[in-house]
Amino acid sequence: MNKETDRESVPEPPNPIGMDGIEYIEFTTSKPQALGGILERMGFRLVARHRSREVELYRQGSMNLVVNSHPADISRTVTPVECPALSAIAIRVRDADAAYQRALHLGAWEVPFHARAIELNIPAIHGVGESLIYFVDRYDEFSIFDIDFRAIPGVDPHPPAINEMNFFGVVQYVGDDRTRDWSEFYGQIFGFRPLADSVRFGIMPKGLVLQSPCTRFYLQLIEPDSAGQYSPMEEHLQRIGLGTPDVIATTRELEKRGIDFLSTDMVHTTERGALTAAMLGGVMFELVHTQDGK
Amino acid sequence: MPLNFNDFGIDIASMAGSLETRLAATRQAGFSQAMIAATDIVGHPVSTEAAVQAIHDSGLRITGLETLRDFEGLSGKLHGYKVDVAKSMLQLCSRIGARLLLTEASVLAHADTDPEKIARDLRKLAFLALPMGIRIAFKGLSGSRTVRDFPAAAEIVSLADCPSLGLAIDAFDIIAAGVPLDDLDLVFPEQIFLVQLSDFMLQEIRSVDEQAATEAHFRVFPGEGAHSEAIARFIVKLEEIGYFGDYSFDVYNTDYLQMPAETIADRARRAAEWLGETVLRRTLPVPNMERLCAAKQIRRA
Repeated sequence: MNKETDRESVPEPPNPIGMDGIEYIEFTTSKPQALGGILERMGFRLVARHRSREVELYRQGSMNLVVNSHPADISRTVTPVECPALSAIAIRVRDADAAYQRALHLGAWEVPFHARAIELNIPAIHGVGESLIYFVDRYDEFSIFDIDFRAIPGVDPHPPAINEMNFFGVVQYVGDDRTRDWSEFYGQIFGFRPLADSVRFGIMPKGLVLQSPCTRFYLQLIEPDSAGQYSPMEEHLQRIGLGTPDVIATTRELEKRGIDFLSTDMVHTTERGALTAAMLGGVMFELVHTQDGK
Repeated sequence: MPLNFNDFGIDIASMAGSLETRLAATRQAGFSQAMIAATDIVGHPVSTEAAVQAIHDSGLRITGLETLRDFEGLSGKLHGYKVDVAKSMLQLCSRIGARLLLTEASVLAHADTDPEKIARDLRKLAFLALPMGIRIAFKGLSGSRTVRDFPAAAEIVSLADCPSLGLAIDAFDIIAAGVPLDDLDLVFPEQIFLVQLSDFMLQEIRSVDEQAATEAHFRVFPGEGAHSEAIARFIVKLEEIGYFGDYSFDVYNTDYLQMPAETIADRARRAAEWLGETVLRRTLPVPNMERLCAAKQIRRA
């Protein structure tokens, strides 16, 4: 390309790293069984264990949840570790190494290999707070879980989802005046785009919603209500949003399984969405109405 | 004490003594914030950790950490080396609870002068700082080949277009170089992250060499020097365009470094009072986050 004559900047492709959804979301906790109990009630099944680390894979439909209680990884998580923390998001991309190199080039922080939950060389960068973001490109014909994990005998490795539940997004709490910063971060490194304020999902309308370049995943950035509630280091991934075409039916099913939903004047279940009570000192799931499992 | 006293802080490089002595002097003079040099932390006679602890124990809000130098415009291994240096400073910045890293324009003769490259590098620096909640305040330097003053720095910052990258403006540079105040109209107030204040004794500065000498020896606090009116106009102008960030007294003077820290901190207090009461009439404190946090911290302490 001739730099002199081709001065017009080439617009970034709408999906610069070929993002293609979420491979898994990771919790870190020192109480994996307690968290596992909650995940089971939410409809997830323990389907595999890591060959050498204290890392478990829960699955439901298209969703993979990794529960990491490997001691080496706990020190880097937010205290108290008894309360499970959302500690990583693994993003499916066209070429993991290319996406990773591109991110480093833009100014992302690389994660040393030993700090990663899974042994395979899956490149990762630092995200909000103590959390990580992985780039995964092996998810089509075989997955990272086929290599690093041992299936639990006698368990359906692909348990169906309750009411087509799927990963809708993640809510991230950010510090005051930090929405623009994080919007820039996700925009540049991954190609997320902010949605207009008029576009809202679920029943928790606050903050700024970013749509992934593959249009199937959302990040919702929420600043604190009152000034000074969070210092920068307390920014974190707060909850997972699950999409379902029928919120009311899904809520009913989950209630039967022992999950409580908030029911206050401000927050209560509607056709648009629902929010579970906090479990184990902070674990929450949000249900969001979506069409046909999308 | 005027309501807006909390907008002012001391750059503790303006004082002599141990880190603890200077922090205590800052506090005793009534200030709630201080700018800290990385050398004061890593040069602590006990340990870096002891310095970090002393800073936390002081109860002062940290205006920012200084100074990352010669970062931009490099390539290959040099660029990688500077990225490592920047990361280390950002980690230090985070440890002391500072949310701003002062970055001075490169004076390296072999640094690239292409504004696009400079902007790209600074944007990368701002991205490195972003997850930690740290903002980059970029400052032009008279000795830089490419970014000599704040209008030039402002152009680079606009080109980089990143919310966590902004400007540091030094009153000394404006007054010494006779930069027209109307140049401030070109800058968006939210792009100014830090304003450094000092006056100097000479009536005028006739050469770059003289400017360098004055920078090092004859800086004094606002109200003590030969350009009180110019400083007053500068600050009024900043207020007019809507600046509501911090002011840091950056009064490096070799004479001051032979005087007790308490004496210097008192002079800083007088300067803050002069500016607050007679020049800077911020009628109501703007509910700026930083200030609210600082106020809370002081109440808690």
